[in-house]
Amino acid sequence: MNAKRLRKALFNRSKLRAVIAIFVFLVLWEIGSRSKEWFGFAVPWIGHVPAPTAVVVAWYGLLGDPGYWQSWYMSTLRVLAGFFAAMVVGIPLGLFMAVNRTFNGLVFPSFEILRPIPPLAWVPASIIFWPSQELSIAFVTFLGAFFTIVINVLGGAKSIDPRYFQSAQSMGSSQWDVFRRVVLPATLPSIVVGSAVGMGITWEVVVAAEMISGGGGSGGSGGGLGFFIWNSYVGGSYEQIVVGMISIGIAGFISSELLRKLGSYLTPWLRKR
Amino acid sequence: MDQNQTVALLKRSMPFQTVPSDMLDAIAKLARYESYARGDVIYHQGDFADDVYIVSSGTVQHTLGIGFQATHPEKILHSGDVFGWAAVLDNQRSRLAKTVCMERTELIRINGEELINLFRASPETGDIVMSRFATMINKEYTMPEEVAGHVPHFTQVPVTMATGLTLTMFRLSQWLKSPKPYLMFTGFGILLATWYFTVEVWKLPRFVDMPGLTVVMKEWFSKDPVYGLSIYTPEYYQHIWVSVRRILIAFFLATVLGVPLGLFLGWSKTFREYVFPVFETLRPIPILAWVPLAILMFQGSETPVIYLTFLASFYATALNTMLGVETIDESYSRAAACLGASKWQTFKEVIVPGAMPFMFTGLQISIGVAWFSLVAGEMVSGEFGLGYVINTSYTMVRYPTIVIGMITLGIVGYTSSALVRMAGDYMMQWRVRELALGGR
Repeated sequence: MNAKRLRKALFNRSKLRAVIAIFVFLVLWEIGSRSKEWFGFAVPWIGHVPAPTAVVVAWYGLLGDPGYWQSWYMSTLRVLAGFFAAMVVGIPLGLFMAVNRTFNGLVFPSFEILRPIPPLAWVPASIIFWPSQELSIAFVTFLGAFFTIVINVLGGAKSIDPRYFQSAQSMGSSQWDVFRRVVLPATLPSIVVGSAVGMGITWEVVVAAEMISGGGGSGGSGGGLGFFIWNSYVGGSYEQIVVGMISIGIAGFISSELLRKLGSYLTPWLRKR
Repeated sequence: MDQNQTVALLKRSMPFQTVPSDMLDAIAKLARYESYARGDVIYHQGDFADDVYIVSSGTVQHTLGIGFQATHPEKILHSGDVFGWAAVLDNQRSRLAKTVCMERTELIRINGEELINLFRASPETGDIVMSRFATMINKEYTMPEEVAGHVPHFTQVPVTMATGLTLTMFRLSQWLKSPKPYLMFTGFGILLATWYFTVEVWKLPRFVDMPGLTVVMKEWFSKDPVYGLSIYTPEYYQHIWVSVRRILIAFFLATVLGVPLGLFLGWSKTFREYVFPVFETLRPIPILAWVPLAILMFQGSETPVIYLTFLASFYATALNTMLGVETIDESYSRAAACLGASKWQTFKEVIVPGAMPFMFTGLQISIGVAWFSLVAGEMVSGEFGLGYVINTSYTMVRYPTIVIGMITLGIVGYTSSALVRMAGDYMMQWRVRELALGGR
């Protein structure tokens, strides 16, 4: 009985189809990549991409390389630095803008004219401004998450039904009570969503910032995953590019999932029963 | 009764209150003075309506005939009141009421035809008077609006309708009355002042290396820019155009491919179960990590950048469209099927319009991320374009040009998002109306 249930959970139709689809995708990729060796002509586009088997081999070789893990470590550190800075600055700013109308009128338009400038356009200015390359990459990562977080917090706080405030006040709540019992629970879901989206953007930005600025000051292997990819491209080891891409994908996926788990722990009332 | 008294009387009567004095003189010239004794009948119901009357002194009883749905069919008129307005109605030239003098009454009468002819000559004043007539008939005589609707208009555009322009002007005036614009400009002022003072006046450490406000502005609006890029140089527009063209191509491809894919992903369960896993496996890879691979896959410098831009937009569009289809209430499709709709009809009439709001949210996100990855693509590879300007200006130490590039990117990016939003609002007016009805 138990084994049957296990088998059912493992091999239901949609999971089976997913496995088939990914397998077919990998096979097509393999054939496409190897088309030049096997058929004598390169399939357009995919023909230039290293084959999945070659990528796996390259990856296996890298697992023992401390430089590879150092790249993971560097990128994660930068993402975390930028992300937490964005949370620390962005959440209070968004909440304060939602609560105080004058402050909102003063700051929001300026915020809106800065927001359409893509974070990566700040890279050169940031390099000029900050004394170390490390700080400038962290700053650009910060910008990437900052705007998203502020907008989400503001939107969440603005959509609170004003009757909640009125009823809280008529039942004698203090300012702090209103904040703690009304504003915070109501904005938490949008804070969680904003952080998850912001986390995705920080990973995007950190990669590009590392590529553009040419990695960390230490040079060589200490430059983070974006630099790892760029270096592999320059050095001609194309398999490693794909390894780097997948690594960043995994890193981004894990961090977003962790945030979602944390978010669902913090907002138990939103969980599906 | 002389001319001045007549003008004074007209000024006291509700429809003529706002008429300018030269016009009042002309109207007063049309007026004829009459006096009645107690019990005299001025007109009966059904008589031909020729004149409009204004009571000068005395009282008149005004009794609406049977069949006119007024809340108060009887009304007593005093000095300054207007009656006999059937004379100015279109298609309604017979008396609706019987009027009897209750004491010795003096009044003036004005011929309706002549009054209307006078108003034809100055339609603006005429329309105001006539709309006041309509209000009076509606309010004071408690007559239904359809009777008041017979009051003629003289100008081509009916004054009561809020057209797009008047609505915009109204909103603008409301906005100017609120503290918002003043706070906004104070905010901008603080932002620019911070920039100016920190960099150029106080020369704070670190800030002093940055291009200052006046330097950037001088460069941007200079006819002979030091670093070769300002609003007067053709290169500036060439860079903008190259970037915009890349965005257009990528956005177009992403929409053309992403929307159908999203619709099918949402519509067919089988299709989703096969395709979505592959989609989801590739999606966590940041677009920008694709840069070297894109350069390898697409030879040349133009296609890799477009591909990167496309990829970012494509994910956003396809995913949001799919979500849109998923939010459609299942009972709509069932109802359509019950009414005999074919699969294709259900798709066309239920799925596509139902997914529209999410689709346009997706397109808005899509244009945003398109600019985001375009800049990255242009900075790493590619020739021309705004991202390229920013990056080369850095390497060639043309610092003010970096800021010009950034500001231009902001403006162009904002404009493109606004255009997509407007297109969305235009195509989904039903939804805008729905939101407006909901008070949002």
